[in-house]
Amino acid sequence: MPILETEDLTHIFPEGTVAIQDISLKINEGEFVVIAGANGSGKTVFARHLNGLLKPTKGRVLLDGEPITKNIVEARRKVGLVFQDPDSQFVGQTVAEDVAFGPENLNLPVKEVETIVKESLEAVGLSGFSSRSPHALSGGEKRKLAIAGILAMKPKIIIFDEPFTGLDYPGVVQVLKQIVQLHKKGHTILLITHELEKVLAHANRLVIMHKGKLVEDGKPEDVIYRSENYGVRMPLNDGQKVAALTWLK
Amino acid sequence: MAEITFFHYIHKDTILHRMDGRLKLLCLLLLSLSASFASQLEHYLVLLFVVIFALLIAKLPIKALLKDIKFFGIIILIVFVVNAFNIPGDPIPNFPITSISIQGLITGLRFAGRLTIIIMVCAVITGTTPLITIRNVIEWYLRPIPFVSEVRIATMIKLTFMLIPVIFDNLAEMMNAQKARCVELRKNPIKRINFIVFPLLQQTLRKADEIAYAMESRCYSEVRTKAVFESNKIDWLLLAVCTSVFLFVIL
Repeated sequence: MPILETEDLTHIFPEGTVAIQDISLKINEGEFVVIAGANGSGKTVFARHLNGLLKPTKGRVLLDGEPITKNIVEARRKVGLVFQDPDSQFVGQTVAEDVAFGPENLNLPVKEVETIVKESLEAVGLSGFSSRSPHALSGGEKRKLAIAGILAMKPKIIIFDEPFTGLDYPGVVQVLKQIVQLHKKGHTILLITHELEKVLAHANRLVIMHKGKLVEDGKPEDVIYRSENYGVRMPLNDGQKVAALTWLK
Repeated sequence: MAEITFFHYIHKDTILHRMDGRLKLLCLLLLSLSASFASQLEHYLVLLFVVIFALLIAKLPIKALLKDIKFFGIIILIVFVVNAFNIPGDPIPNFPITSISIQGLITGLRFAGRLTIIIMVCAVITGTTPLITIRNVIEWYLRPIPFVSEVRIATMIKLTFMLIPVIFDNLAEMMNAQKARCVELRKNPIKRINFIVFPLLQQTLRKADEIAYAMESRCYSEVRTKAVFESNKIDWLLLAVCTSVFLFVIL
């Protein structure tokens, strides 16, 4: 049984724009799925349905076989979403306060919240940053803090919405290392990007969206050659293999 | 705006930083009331001494704070001038502006002094207390009041305080971007305000929307972990000092 599944997911905005249309997708536990697509292809709207932030006009999202609407809080806890702009995700004045936001929402005891905050910051290598302001961190550190905030909820699935946007080379490497590590630890990863050259080597599935529709879904080495048909740059040079598409050495 | 230290929390390890937030808020209330009721010179001197002492033990950057107080200078000046001109009384001997009376001048100085002390007390409290503590204290004080959603009110206050610097940063960036396109050549001030107000409003609303999504995404709930407060003898001693100052002023 897939861990996460969408059935005919459609979202039409009130003014009539069709953001996504009839998307059916099954994600298995432990998979690393890259969702690619040009700007405006509906990737972010799709991601925001997966933990119930947006309600579909048609279709449904199933988590462990159950509609997420059955227990939306549990769905949001299990499916963590790291936003494209980490600055808009921060609700705390300090790093520790921001990480504590999720566990506090779950009404956990104070001591447990403190332990979770410590563990989450350690997991992303931000121990010692507790009293710093989130907005004063570097781009890579901000992304890591956003990840820590999600890890504090103990999710099974983590969705990254354009995690490399605006990052310099060391920032991309820091974040990518973190994502690969999370996958190795057993998290199911969904990563939205159009920069395939940075990450595709680590994925075992590539999904392409185009004008709100799911148009390609398969192994990266099969799908990648058709990516340019949908406005996503095909990053392979002559003779190069998908395994080379990473910024990690 | 990011360079302004006023009303920003400055992380240090001092007795004021460690003080129980509930008692600290009471101190703020007592000192603000004392400043409002102060009428004699000795009242102001005692309050000034307390504020300076608090700034010193909190290890807050006094120079930077004094520099930043210029942002409030215009308000203090208006308060002083309005009082000085509007209070009738004896004219100041050998002073060219006859509409300023001695009584007006004294009242103006009193009001300006009160305002300065209140602003400095607020700076000490906000400089030594993280927003989350202020939020938790507000929630704690509102909890016994029936039919009031203390969590919602406290969260709204916290988010508002958190967003103010962000809005100012956005405003500064927008103004710079417009300056880069020679907005100064536009002489019509209403048009210039238009260029700023609407994009800023749009951006602020979008930001608020994103924060709401981010909070929802992390299971925002009004049934949440409650903060635990602890007070020690020093905290009570500080409260006693503030209470004594208040009693000294009103009695």
